[in-house]
Amino acid sequence: MVRKYVALLRMKYIEMLAYRLATIVWMTGAITQPLITMAVWMNIDPSQSDAFFFYFMAVIFVERMTSAWDVWELDREIREGTFSNYIIRQLHPIHWAIAENVVYKLLFLVILVPIWAVAALFAPALRFDISGGQLLLFLAAVLLGAALRFLLSYTCGLLGFWVTKVAAIYGVLEVISLFLSGRIAPLEMLPPFLQQWSIFLPFRYMIGFPIDIINKAANGDGIMKGFVIALIWAAVFIIVLQFVWKAGLKKNQAVGG
Amino acid sequence: MIEVKHLHKSFRVHVRKAGWLDAVRHLWKREYRVVEAVKDVSFTIEKGEIVGFLGPNGAGKTTTMKMLAGLLHPTSGEIKVGEYVPFEQRAEFKKMMSLVMGQKSQLIWDIPPMETFLVNKAIYDIDDRAFRRTLDELVELLELEPLLTKPTRSLSLGQRMRCELAAALLHRPAILFLDEPTIGLDVHTQEKVRRFIADYNREHQTTILLTSHYMGDVTALCDRIMIINYGQLIYDGELAVLTEKLAPYKRLEVQFAEVPNVRWEDYGEVAEIEDGNVVLRVMREKVAEVSAHFLQHFRVHDINIQDPPMEEVITRAFQEEVPHGS
Repeated sequence: MVRKYVALLRMKYIEMLAYRLATIVWMTGAITQPLITMAVWMNIDPSQSDAFFFYFMAVIFVERMTSAWDVWELDREIREGTFSNYIIRQLHPIHWAIAENVVYKLLFLVILVPIWAVAALFAPALRFDISGGQLLLFLAAVLLGAALRFLLSYTCGLLGFWVTKVAAIYGVLEVISLFLSGRIAPLEMLPPFLQQWSIFLPFRYMIGFPIDIINKAANGDGIMKGFVIALIWAAVFIIVLQFVWKAGLKKNQAVGG
Repeated sequence: MIEVKHLHKSFRVHVRKAGWLDAVRHLWKREYRVVEAVKDVSFTIEKGEIVGFLGPNGAGKTTTMKMLAGLLHPTSGEIKVGEYVPFEQRAEFKKMMSLVMGQKSQLIWDIPPMETFLVNKAIYDIDDRAFRRTLDELVELLELEPLLTKPTRSLSLGQRMRCELAAALLHRPAILFLDEPTIGLDVHTQEKVRRFIADYNREHQTTILLTSHYMGDVTALCDRIMIINYGQLIYDGELAVLTEKLAPYKRLEVQFAEVPNVRWEDYGEVAEIEDGNVVLRVMREKVAEVSAHFLQHFRVHDINIQDPPMEEVITRAFQEEVPHGS
């Protein structure tokens, strides 16, 4: 399996280099929405400007590290019939997608971390003071968030075996997630009932939860509880994905000649 | 090697009439129709055979092939490829077969074919030596050397198909499914691909099932053909036998100095009459007699006797039920 991953990562890296421009546009384009949202909040409550600045910079970082695009890829591949080429080969197609995620996110990491470090020299609001343990917890939460978003996106993509243009369904989830993950506003600013919901739904663990750790907005108990809930969701997604995969293969029409 | 018994596949298709009103009505009321793509198909293919699978568009050949490759679940019936049931998706099964689809590329589009080859090497656990050996052989047979490092998207269709074949054969599958491997290729490249398939089969005893629209592929490669139409296998046997059964006539082309005024129907079926050139379909046993008669009684510039073109034979087969061949 290690050899297979080495080969897939290498190939995805070469492929990414072939898409240099698209990759850069894609990365910078995703920054716009959090920046505008940040400007809006700063305007509403100028006294909290620094906090908003830190929060939304963290949103940009975490959002890029956990972003998932697999639903669009699968939607297209299943609809056009090219997915067949993955099914017939001796390796589950999900590994191709995992390798792609790893390559792109490593790229985001090596670009975003130095940018943050340099920016922190000039903007004190970006500096943070946490222990090594907390940093590890933050990274673990980011990883878990990436896994959750990936699993949800991939599972939705597999629904393409039943529905054409399945990305529309995922679009609805994205809108819900916009609010409940903390992308539009820090979760503590949501109405209490939404805050309650967000704790038990998976979306918070895709973006808001890691930020709460680095922000020190979550205490030890909250962090523990968060990891447990996120892990339960990950397990649920894995089970659903396997079920959808098996049922999907039965349903597969392998379109196209 | 391949055993298929009473194979059925039906699809539920959503029916929709054209027009706005119907489009709106279908938002809440959907009608479905069951289409039987494959009906009670049975056959066996032995190791090392090359079998041509023919049929008009939508006849069920690709559907059958996809079931053999494990992409589609049969509605009922049995399929065994080697010792495996394809739709169970066992790793051992995937390692022993390969599927090449003329219209669906497995090569990664924006990077050179060599990268796909390296990924396949890892996926199929091919060791370095075996990979080198196989690759060298394929590069030579398919003349791939100059193509290996160009991005796939910049290759011509023919170049891509040659790389496609190489990618499919790197793990030395015992069974190769070829779905329209020569589609869209020019005559010269078609010929190249055919020669490669024939040589490869002879060299490695690979079992090959091939679908094609081009009669040339079939006549050049397959001794045995299966014809499928409306989902049913209507012929399974030797190509030569089919020709005799369906075309008990020869094509007699005569160039007269002056077209005689006779009833051509007395000699055979008229295919074409134009400027002194007459083409007749004459029953095999009467060919000698009819040509002798023409030469004796009329001024003939040229005379030419041929077997009917394969296209004509197959088109007939598609139109009528053919008794099973030997």
